Amino acid sequence: MSNDHSVSNPRKDPEKIISIDSEYLTGKRFAYQEEISEIDGIDLQESTPGGDINWLEDITMLEEDGTPAVFDRYSNSFLKIYYDIPAGREDEIARKVLIKHLQSGNSYGTVLKERYAKFAQPELGPWVKGSKTVGDNYVPPVLEGWEAPEGH
Amino acid sequence: MDAVVGESQITYDARGLVEVDDTVLGVAVVKDGKATIDASELTTRKINLEIRSLVYEQGIEDVTVLNPGGKHSLGVGILTRCKMTFEGSLGYFALGVIDGPEVVVNGRVGWSACENMMAGVVVINGNAGSLTGAAIRGGDLVIKGRVGARTGIDQKGGTIIISGDAGSNTGFMMQRGRQLLLGDVGPHLGDSMYDGTIYVAGKVKSLGADCVPGEMTDEDLEFVTRKMAFYDLGTPPELQKFVCGKKLYNYDNLEPSERKLVL
Repeated sequence: MSNDHSVSNPRKDPEKIISIDSEYLTGKRFAYQEEISEIDGIDLQESTPGGDINWLEDITMLEEDGTPAVFDRYSNSFLKIYYDIPAGREDEIARKVLIKHLQSGNSYGTVLKERYAKFAQPELGPWVKGSKTVGDNYVPPVLEGWEAPEGH
Repeated sequence: MDAVVGESQITYDARGLVEVDDTVLGVAVVKDGKATIDASELTTRKINLEIRSLVYEQGIEDVTVLNPGGKHSLGVGILTRCKMTFEGSLGYFALGVIDGPEVVVNGRVGWSACENMMAGVVVINGNAGSLTGAAIRGGDLVIKGRVGARTGIDQKGGTIIISGDAGSNTGFMMQRGRQLLLGDVGPHLGDSMYDGTIYVAGKVKSLGADCVPGEMTDEDLEFVTRKMAFYDLGTPPELQKFVCGKKLYNYDNLEPSERKLVL
């Protein structure tokens, strides 16, 4: 992994990292982290299975490094939110930002699928219908000089 | 077929436990956008390959599996929105690591059903074995029957609803999420739980370490009423609520990296 992501992420490996955030992993900050109108079209119930918001019930607005943030379980990282959050809408906004992040394919866990998924699966999982298949061409690395045992 | 190309790496099985042939048989009958698979003569791998081929490659959103015959590990690893119905009982580790499907099982399931489920809905119209919903992270898992021991062990989110009785160590090491237990519960309920909420309608044999009674709130009642209505379980009975006493473990004592593991 490169040590030179951006000015806002000046950490150097192998410095111990205690606050992993999405920007550190992807080297990017996304529009929906800075502008509330970017999540206007997100329908939480439509975006989740079942008759209610299903797994989003566990998603709430948290805080990371003093900034409001939502936790992305698909990349084990926090996605910080930089605009003022209207009172009483904290969890709703956290959920919408996370769904927008997943549907956009910007979660670092999704980014890694293209290269590392070992079994075929839809790239955008259950968040976007009909996304392309990834993991169907994975080739395991082979150590130089290694020979398969008899029978393989 | 793209959905299964990655599996061609599995070519050798010294113990004879793996179906090495990854050919999708294409035996499903598709009509009006719905597929039916007769699993009576198929191996576990053939059934799972058929399901994945249908929902990933052919765009089928409704799959019914007939005669599953109690085979293990059916319906695992489905990572997309779809409907699945199993007409019969399933063995162990059914429907593990799923993310998005809405599933009905008209039969019983063995141990560790829906382990590591991320999102979706699973309704089991029958009893389930031990370790039901182990390490579940999200979604609704509804058992319309009884369950064995350690239901929701290591639960990190989601909702587990049991309409019948539950065995010992239910909610063992629970970390987040909710359990709604409408029958009686065995000993050591919520043993060593970090967080989460357990609602019980019946008798509790005994509480585990650091599991303590909590106070029902309007939010609790709204949640229980909503979920029971979804799954045709009637109106909420009088419930006891149990939570973590925060004396044994506490998030505040965890390293930040450890805390992330339970978010």
